[in-house]
Amino acid sequence: MAEQQPTVPSRRLVLGGSAAAALSGALVGFGAGRLDAPASAAAEPAQDPSDPADLSPYGAYQRGILEEPQTHGIFLGLDIQWPKAKDERRDRLRSLLRMLGEDAARLMSGDGVLADSEPEMASARGRLSITVGLSRDAAAQAKSTADLSMLEPLPEFSGDKLEPRFGQADLLVQFCGDDPTALAHALRAVRKNLTGLATVRFEQHGFTTPPGQAEHPHAFRNLFGQLDGIANPRTTAREGAVFGHGDEQSWLPGGTVLVLRRIRMDLERWDEVDRPGRDFALGRRQSDGSPLSGQHPDDPVDLSATTELGLPVIAGNAHVALAKPVQAAETMWRRGFSYTDGGESGLLFACFQRDARTAFVPVQRRLAASDAMNQWITHTGSGIYGILPGMSQEAQLGAALFAE
Amino acid sequence: MNKFSKTLPLLTAGLLTGSLLLSGCSTKSPEQASAPSAEQQDTTQAASLQINDPWAKAADKGMSAAFGTLRNTGQQPVELVKVTEEQHRSPVQLHEMTGSGTEMTMKEHQGPVEIKPGAEVELVPGGMHFMYMDLAKPLVASETSTLTLHFADGSSKAVDFPIRNYSGAKERYEDHAGMEDKHGNGEHGGH
Ligand code: HEM
Ligand SMILES: [Cu+2]
Repeated sequence: MAEQQPTVPSRRLVLGGSAAAALSGALVGFGAGRLDAPASAAAEPAQDPSDPADLSPYGAYQRGILEEPQTHGIFLGLDIQWPKAKDERRDRLRSLLRMLGEDAARLMSGDGVLADSEPEMASARGRLSITVGLSRDAAAQAKSTADLSMLEPLPEFSGDKLEPRFGQADLLVQFCGDDPTALAHALRAVRKNLTGLATVRFEQHGFTTPPGQAEHPHAFRNLFGQLDGIANPRTTAREGAVFGHGDEQSWLPGGTVLVLRRIRMDLERWDEVDRPGRDFALGRRQSDGSPLSGQHPDDPVDLSATTELGLPVIAGNAHVALAKPVQAAETMWRRGFSYTDGGESGLLFACFQRDARTAFVPVQRRLAASDAMNQWITHTGSGIYGILPGMSQEAQLGAALFAE
Repeated sequence: MNKFSKTLPLLTAGLLTGSLLLSGCSTKSPEQASAPSAEQQDTTQAASLQINDPWAKAADKGMSAAFGTLRNTGQQPVELVKVTEEQHRSPVQLHEMTGSGTEMTMKEHQGPVEIKPGAEVELVPGGMHFMYMDLAKPLVASETSTLTLHFADGSSKAVDFPIRNYSGAKERYEDHAGMEDKHGNGEHGGH
């Protein structure tokens, strides 16, 4: 579709991959107002929010969301040690977020944090980003007008084997970067500063592929050997799926919703599956990521394509057949990282969306019910977080939660 | 001589000993001021003093310390005579370090601190610092502590020091007046 030709005059928002296909089909739940791109968008190519010149810590959105994923990602989940006095909790949340925002701004600028014993390790090279989110209950302490119903705990899905140690935390800090040393320093600096204020529930480390070494500009090889990320929304479609539009914002304007799932992948049993079985389960070829209904990785996933015998080329229970959005509101931006941990392998599945109730939840319901890949994957961790809007030199991280 | 007392202000205004000669602080090449204009004379010392990266060390009780870089952005010398703190109700002193390596001890700095135009004084762990002598309320990480800096010309400046966890700055406290150190181990308070 129009996705590869952003200069083609179009009044449609540009959607990536299958999301674009969803647009051309059923448009259930997709407000007509959102189809109207600004008039100027037809004339000039839209600025690509996924490709910023630098990762400045300031802006309408936090960093580490729209950008193409860095090589390393760490998800730090913490439980806040609230003051005993209930009336002190709002102030505690505010000061904690102010500190996190200041730490993030300094680290993303290549400086050590205050009280840093190793400021020499700080480096902004390697696209360091630090992104902060809150659970519904933590955000509730701010007593703001934010839409906390968007952060309600996820329902149970069939097949879930969730472990509390990878479960919902009050506070989530995502660290991403291409330089593992700068990343380790940032993680340590932030953990140190949170001592006495929050206890760590989990620290989950993941990785993708270094920039310039990927086969596909928008995808990495996951640990099953598949190219993952091809049909992800791009450019303005990504921005719209993540942050919403106009009067359809996320839980806070400029904020978004992150779903983090730890998914174990059984590589030993996957080893037993040969190529056709693997490609059948996914609906795409392991070789180059192309859909079984096409030749090129960026060809559309065509669920109506049939073989000479009249059978669907992509099985109805193939992963991509079930995951593909059936309406635009299901579109999510997947930004996950592979992990290996003591002999275990898997995916730190992370997706950002305006509202998980219309995106992750229905898609995961379909996958949990019948995804052909289910026999090799197990969900062991889960959480949903309200990612805060961006900050500025004047407005601290989380300022919108405390606006009087 | 100057007896240490928690109730006395940090520094007695008065004798100026020219340039600052303190271990652990750096006084960077002062640019000598040219003849001050009327405008410059109006500038208070408080307005001339800039503090970069202020922070205070979290502590539950007892003693703690605050750090940062004091910079004189004005054309006239700045003389810091006293520091006060209301929120956590602790007397504050200006401390300097003596000795070297792991054998350093700290003691109260005598007299005002003069910062020449364009010069900086660095308050760092292991060097000069503002010292909370007896905290009535804990310094909680992520919160701030407002220190008021008082200058020789009568001007003053309130500065927010963000509070951070820090496990260094455990220097020994040496009381020259020979008073018992009522804080037990003679270290900065904290964890
Ligand atoms: C270990 C678990 C998983 C693995 C290995 C996996 C792998 C893949 C791969 C290889 C693709 C095809 C390439 C691409 O378009 O990105 C894909 C597509 C997709 N996956 Fe997954 N995935 C997993 C879990 C999930 C989960 C939990 C969800 C959401 C609930 C999800 C949602 C999607 C979506 C929306 C697509 C794009 C479908 C389309 O529009 O064509 N995946 N996945
Ligand atoms: Cu001291």
